[in-house]
Amino acid sequence: MSNRVYNILFHTHTVSGIVISVALFVIFFAGSFSFFRDEIIGWERNEPVMEGMDLKDIDVDRMLDSISEQKELYGRDVSFTKFFNERRLGVNITASQDSKAGDKAQIREFFYMDAENLNSYTYGSNYSIGEFLYRLHFFAQLNLWGTSGYLLSGFVAFFFLFAIITGVFVHWKKIVSNFYVFRPMASLKNLWTDAHTALGILGLPYQFVYAVTGTCLIIGTSVMSPAVVTFMYDGDTNELYDDFGFNPLRFDMRGEKLAEIPSVNAFVAKAGQKWKGFEVKSVKIYNYGDKNMRIGIDGYTSHNLKFAGRGDILYDLDGAELQVTDPHSETSYQDAAMAVITQLHYGDYGGVPLRIVYFILGIASCFVIISGVMIWLVARDKKHVPEKQRKFNAWVVWIYLAVCLSLFPVTAFTFLMVKVFLTEFTPERLNHIYQIFFYSWLILSVFFTLKRDNYFTNKYTLICGAVLGFMVPLANGWTSGNWLWVSLSAGHYQVFFIDVFWLSLSVVALIIASNLKRTVKKHMQVSSYKKKEKASSLDNKAVLAD
Amino acid sequence: MPANKKYLTASKTQRFAKITAGFFGGYGVTVSFFMAIGFWLDHINVLTTLRFGGFMLWATLFLLAFLFKNGWKAWGLYLVLTLTFSIIIHFSKIYHPII
Repeated sequence: MSNRVYNILFHTHTVSGIVISVALFVIFFAGSFSFFRDEIIGWERNEPVMEGMDLKDIDVDRMLDSISEQKELYGRDVSFTKFFNERRLGVNITASQDSKAGDKAQIREFFYMDAENLNSYTYGSNYSIGEFLYRLHFFAQLNLWGTSGYLLSGFVAFFFLFAIITGVFVHWKKIVSNFYVFRPMASLKNLWTDAHTALGILGLPYQFVYAVTGTCLIIGTSVMSPAVVTFMYDGDTNELYDDFGFNPLRFDMRGEKLAEIPSVNAFVAKAGQKWKGFEVKSVKIYNYGDKNMRIGIDGYTSHNLKFAGRGDILYDLDGAELQVTDPHSETSYQDAAMAVITQLHYGDYGGVPLRIVYFILGIASCFVIISGVMIWLVARDKKHVPEKQRKFNAWVVWIYLAVCLSLFPVTAFTFLMVKVFLTEFTPERLNHIYQIFFYSWLILSVFFTLKRDNYFTNKYTLICGAVLGFMVPLANGWTSGNWLWVSLSAGHYQVFFIDVFWLSLSVVALIIASNLKRTVKKHMQVSSYKKKEKASSLDNKAVLAD
Repeated sequence: MPANKKYLTASKTQRFAKITAGFFGGYGVTVSFFMAIGFWLDHINVLTTLRFGGFMLWATLFLLAFLFKNGWKAWGLYLVLTLTFSIIIHFSKIYHPII
């Protein structure tokens, strides 16, 4: 590679990296916690579920009975979907096809329903820290103008991909030797550089996978499809949806009511036994209560049997199979590609141990981002760089570190507050979680920025997070009685896991914090500003006093 | 350690040309390329690939735009490519339509 190409690539790597750094840190941090979304929710609501439960284990008839007592269901399509591994299922009810239906049955409805106690929840009252962190990792809270948050996170992921590609080119020649180099005792610049390259190379496959799958999942359709719809489909979105199977099925009603509604459970059980290891994820009842009622069942094979096996069956009332996709037959390219992308991104194909590895790699990526920012600062903290520029750089890093690193104590604080104070599932739950998280984040960010000391920020965010983190299992035991030993012996794995998770995180954070030493050289430049500034402000005061 | 300024683009208009060529031009080339071959191969598979592979191509084209000495030449090349693929799309729609 010529010097010119090297320097250009290096510069694009630096600029793209520094621009997206804070956003990317938030994405990786919140995303890493999202691997345990289901565990967090089970812990938060005190509603643990066993792993690998599916709709076969759930009494759908009982849920349908309960819904039909409150709502007019005739002629509507009702679907139950198990989006995540939790007790509450998503229930979607379409508008009725029956023209004589009441006003309330003419609108589409969506809510969550607990499969055990049959309580139903709106989106707001169903909200949780798990959902919050999951949605924070693609900036759903910033959807202020249309889907601006999704677009922002998508383009951050896209520029992340760009930074990875340029990063590989820049380090290509030294990729093997760098792998073995770690010089913690050398200069600070070498420390950050070694950490950045070593962890960057170790995590490269992981980070590349996340850049590509993340971009694809969040903006793959919204950025790519407008041109395709306009030029390939002549503006007919419906045609595109048909091609890709996005359009939901609909069947005409016969207009005659059934005397008795058949058991949906029986259909689910039948479908569940059809293929080896088939897990039912969604049950759709078309034209409820009509003679032309149909039952559609969707699911996947367990990951041990096949990585990307999607299956579905459509039954009529006599139990005849109208349409079948066998998950064990050859998977279409489209299904396979999307399954690989989502599963690689969610890390849901290898159980808890894999998600723990993914979490560690995610946090390591956070460190790569921070060390990159530190290289940027240290490399520009030279005597020949103008004073004004250096001051600006120092401020940038003070703010960056304060915003990024305070996420750890803020997350611990949110877990704690929600467990202790938000015990009711009221519609205000969503707002309360927003307020707890965002206000504490704002206060800590401002505080650490004003301290203007990177060492202090680093050390005290870790200590503060660790102390709050230790209190998380205590708060849980105190409010719910589910102390570690209780949840372990009762087999409430999700509750036990989150308590142990916070304990281990806090221990690690404390060990790191206690090993942090302020190297005099380290903040020489940055802190010398403060001294100089203080000195000069003292001078000014002295002058004024004179 | 910052990159050696000697090799970087100093002119603001050149920088503008390169960034816009990489971002908008790169997008145009990527999308038109996938659409053009979509008419001749299985279009569902091609469009599925566009959803993830498109970003890899786009990021590469973005990067290449910076390597041009003259950013407007990058724009020129990307426009010519987009135009070529658009012509293929135009005639494919008439002679080998998918819908």
